[in-house]
Amino acid sequence: MRRIAAVAEYIFKQSFRNKILNVLILFAVFSIGFSLVVSELAQEVEIKMIKDFGLFAINLFAFLTLALALTVQLFEENELKTINLIMVKPVARHEYIAGKYLGIVFTILMNVILMLAALMLILWLKGENPWELGLLLQAMYIFLGTAVLASTAMILSVLATSVPGCIIFLFFFYILGHLTVHLKNIASQLDNALFQAAADIIYYLLPNLELFNLKDKIYTPEGLFSPQYLLPVIAYAVFYPVLSLVIASLIFRKKEFF
Amino acid sequence: MKKTVNDYVIEVKEVTKVFKPLDFWKRERVQAIDSVSLNIEKGEIFGLLGLNGAGKTTLMKVILGLLKPTKGHVSILGRPVTDGAVRCRIGYHSELPYFPKYLKAAEILSYFADIFGLPQKTKKAGIAEVLELVGLKNKANTRIKGYSKGMQERLGMAQALINDPDILFLDEPMSGLDPMGYKETRDILLRLNKRGKTIFFNSHILSEVERVCDRVAVMHKGKIADVRSAAEIKRKYKNMEKYFMTVVKKAGES
Repeated sequence: MRRIAAVAEYIFKQSFRNKILNVLILFAVFSIGFSLVVSELAQEVEIKMIKDFGLFAINLFAFLTLALALTVQLFEENELKTINLIMVKPVARHEYIAGKYLGIVFTILMNVILMLAALMLILWLKGENPWELGLLLQAMYIFLGTAVLASTAMILSVLATSVPGCIIFLFFFYILGHLTVHLKNIASQLDNALFQAAADIIYYLLPNLELFNLKDKIYTPEGLFSPQYLLPVIAYAVFYPVLSLVIASLIFRKKEFF
Repeated sequence: MKKTVNDYVIEVKEVTKVFKPLDFWKRERVQAIDSVSLNIEKGEIFGLLGLNGAGKTTLMKVILGLLKPTKGHVSILGRPVTDGAVRCRIGYHSELPYFPKYLKAAEILSYFADIFGLPQKTKKAGIAEVLELVGLKNKANTRIKGYSKGMQERLGMAQALINDPDILFLDEPMSGLDPMGYKETRDILLRLNKRGKTIFFNSHILSEVERVCDRVAVMHKGKIADVRSAAEIKRKYKNMEKYFMTVVKKAGES
């Protein structure tokens, strides 16, 4: 456990102190602030507009944080060969994968917290209750969805032979992750077994990121969500990454370092 | 006296490394190492020489387990290098090491110390000790972006020593250093060797190899062309450069 924690801390520090990432966070906070301007255009639904725009920015920048943290890691590991110094030390390959995942996920968590704090501050300035449960849950599920995608990124990172290739695939997975549920629905309405099978494979193989989008899943008039929906999604957010990390570790065990 | 298996800390038996073809038609297989056998004795400083592309770094990476041999077998302290207990007893300094520029030297060494499971009580003192040894004591809390190339080399040496290893693998440890750095590295190697450490290193700097090594091997086109003690080289060839040139020329002709 100490080795996993050491790798996680190292990767978190490395990512969180990265200047490009710092600029990204600043940009994210400014984007959330920009929701004030956007909300002026829709005065009757001003608060809803601020929340929707803020959550959209959190979602987008959480993904960009993942992409950037992964780019930094892959570049330093593969191009600058930093991984060679680590792999000759007594850290098992699965420990390294677990630590790297936790380090990147913790970086995303910190950024989501910062962006959420900015959004809550704006809501408070507008005289709203910033501690609204629905808002906090939506932000938490955005984080969970990004953490699930980060586990898929771990598989991509051990398979990748180039940094741009890995990031392009991550971007595809991000888009497809939001579309698989719709693809499955379309396939179920078609009378084509092959297309249905292909849609099923994609649906179960890729991370289902649409599960974490709570916007259209409001359960009560007060804007709350059903526990029957939330709890299985949390279980998914635990099991999918565990499985992905096992697969990534198995691939990583065979990897050579040139 | 004939050496026994117990005297060897590193054993390389008939190791061959062939890299997978990289071209589209999968035809260009590169044989980087060809049936190399070597035994390194406990407490010696062993220098591996060779031209660029001779296979020195590949051999070191195979010994360290970073690359898997296509054929043959490697053992360190009688066990495979993948054994965690073996890894705790080795140190490795790669050529032109890179460290994250936003971290401080003390943080980087603390990370490696945690990987080795060094006790928290002694960790701080251990970090201070290796930083002093490599001459970076006053730069412990400076971010790496403020480090020169030579300072990064020294930090590379510090991380290789953080676990007080029994065997030290150094890949071009003097590249990037100035003449003062050469001398300091040489002094460190000799001091460590006096403490019983085995040192295996690759280098192009023949004068330094001549000054520190007990035994030397020359690699040429993936094969060991010659292995000889430093005393014998001095007796027969007078200096390392003459020895190296003679061996490489002879290997090239055969």
